[in-house]
Amino acid sequence: MKFHGFEEVEHTADLAIRVWAADFYALLIHAALGMYDLMGAQYNPNIPILQTFELTNASQAEVLVDFLNELLFLVEESNQIFDQFQFVDENARLRIELTGYKLSSINRHIKAVTFHNLEISEGSKGLETTITFDV
Amino acid sequence: MSTISLNILEKISDYEWEIPQDFRSDMRVPVRLFASRRLIEEALNDKSIEQAVNASTLPGLVGAVMVMPDMHQGYGFPIGGVAATDLKNGVISPGGIGYDINCGVRLLASRISLAEVEPWIKDLATLLNQNVPSGVGVGSDLRLSVDELAEACVLGSRWAKRNGYATEEDLLHTEENGCLSGAKPEKLSKRALQRGTSQLGTLGAGNHFIEVDIITEIFDPIAAQTMGLHKDDIAVQIHTGSRGFGHQICTDYVRRFQSAIQKYGIKLPDKQLVCAPIDSPEGQDYLGAMRCGANFAFINRQLLANKVRMTFERVLAGKVDDWHLKLVYDLAHNIGKFENHLVDGQKREVCIHRKGATRAFGPHSEGIPVDYKEIGQPVLVPGSMGTSSWVLTGTKISMERSFGSSCHGAGRVMSRSQAKREVWGEDLLKRLEKSGIDIRAGSMPGLAEEAPEAYKDVDQVVESVVGAGIAKKVARLNPLIVIKG
Repeated sequence: MKFHGFEEVEHTADLAIRVWAADFYALLIHAALGMYDLMGAQYNPNIPILQTFELTNASQAEVLVDFLNELLFLVEESNQIFDQFQFVDENARLRIELTGYKLSSINRHIKAVTFHNLEISEGSKGLETTITFDV
Repeated sequence: MSTISLNILEKISDYEWEIPQDFRSDMRVPVRLFASRRLIEEALNDKSIEQAVNASTLPGLVGAVMVMPDMHQGYGFPIGGVAATDLKNGVISPGGIGYDINCGVRLLASRISLAEVEPWIKDLATLLNQNVPSGVGVGSDLRLSVDELAEACVLGSRWAKRNGYATEEDLLHTEENGCLSGAKPEKLSKRALQRGTSQLGTLGAGNHFIEVDIITEIFDPIAAQTMGLHKDDIAVQIHTGSRGFGHQICTDYVRRFQSAIQKYGIKLPDKQLVCAPIDSPEGQDYLGAMRCGANFAFINRQLLANKVRMTFERVLAGKVDDWHLKLVYDLAHNIGKFENHLVDGQKREVCIHRKGATRAFGPHSEGIPVDYKEIGQPVLVPGSMGTSSWVLTGTKISMERSFGSSCHGAGRVMSRSQAKREVWGEDLLKRLEKSGIDIRAGSMPGLAEEAPEAYKDVDQVVESVVGAGIAKKVARLNPLIVIKG
């Protein structure tokens, strides 16, 4: 059985995933993969892509939301999705180097990542959180 | 932790209930729910009522937080929520408006009978589907420069008229004449502007749609006649909003307000309820940006209406007597506006947040079209795909009880994942086609998520607002063609 580090949680109007990981950067990666999974993202493996962006280092919840919103923007504006992530902490900034592919299709549009009841806590699986997406 | 149950509700009437302010210590005002007992019981299955209680903790609220019968769980605010805040001591909350700023509906009426259009239904569906940019990631055939977009954001529907997409009558039949004053493009992020330049004139995906309907019942002949609605004639509904432009504006300000609440010492039960004092730089900046998003959405629906009109002309000109579509009304159901309302018997200007709720101004209210003065503002209530939609009017009671607000649709009752588990898109398509509805959908899983059984019974929702007196029935519409992204 493949270990994903995320699972969908029922939500009446929107979408939500529960994410867990050993540390914060792994949590970001699992959240990204969970979000792509919700979108039903399919990619073209023949067109690899390298991308970089920076975020302001803020609270973990804020970094998580900023990170996912940045990925959503790259889906919408550049048709790009990623499966490898490198995080470089530069004190006030967090630089993220991404490797991925050109998107071929998605089944579902996600409008935004919300802060709804967003708490990152330590649990039996390391760090855990539940993220709600507006669709 | 206080538990939400039917026992905590005080019954005011069969369709109006209240959660008193002392239910939870952080509540600043009561919560008033407009719904039948059955719909309240259904709502207890999700967190919509708890979210309304959370919303009642915002600073500077006046009156009560209202919840409409189509309520369902959102994020922060419940969908179906209405909250009014004081302009001096109150706050503005982007979450109380939503990511899809000015998501709304417009209704166009025709003098085309079902008998006339029946031979051309397939052609109409095919061409509407081709002409309207819809679906995930589909951009517009219209590209604006950043300067053009900024100008459009300030002018709203007047920009559409200036560029030949709208008539003066269209503007007069749009809420706020299609333009919120006070839009400030300089308060938009570069990213918001970037996203907006290619999305004007697109439908999007999810629950957005264009629907060609048949008017099957008239309940208020005078109001229907005034709106140009006639039994057995065709009408068109367009449901969409401000697209990625609005989403980005909300994203930017929800993020910025995370620190604003610390700056202003505001304590909230949910980070998505973040807000800033209206009378603060952060609050004023959001208002200026949000109004840009609202004006963008008014133009968006106008541009789509233009495409629908052109399609009707192309398919039906020379085949029916009169193929023209007249705008009955265009209204927002995700918006924040300054409006005058009675608070404790006194007329005051307050900031109304409507999140999944429709303005429902009664007869002779300020701000409604002159030709609707006697009947009240049209209230458009789209049903779920395959079920009825409703045209209602606002009432004197809605002005007194609900800050001139009513319901906005059927309201979800089933999660998207549950709908996909229980409904197979292809089966649903066949079922709807068998019942005489021509569906054009971008994706079968997306169609399944929007299945009629995923929504409440819209007729019950309408019975609740009518029973509560905050709206009056005018007409019922049933779908013939549904175009979904």
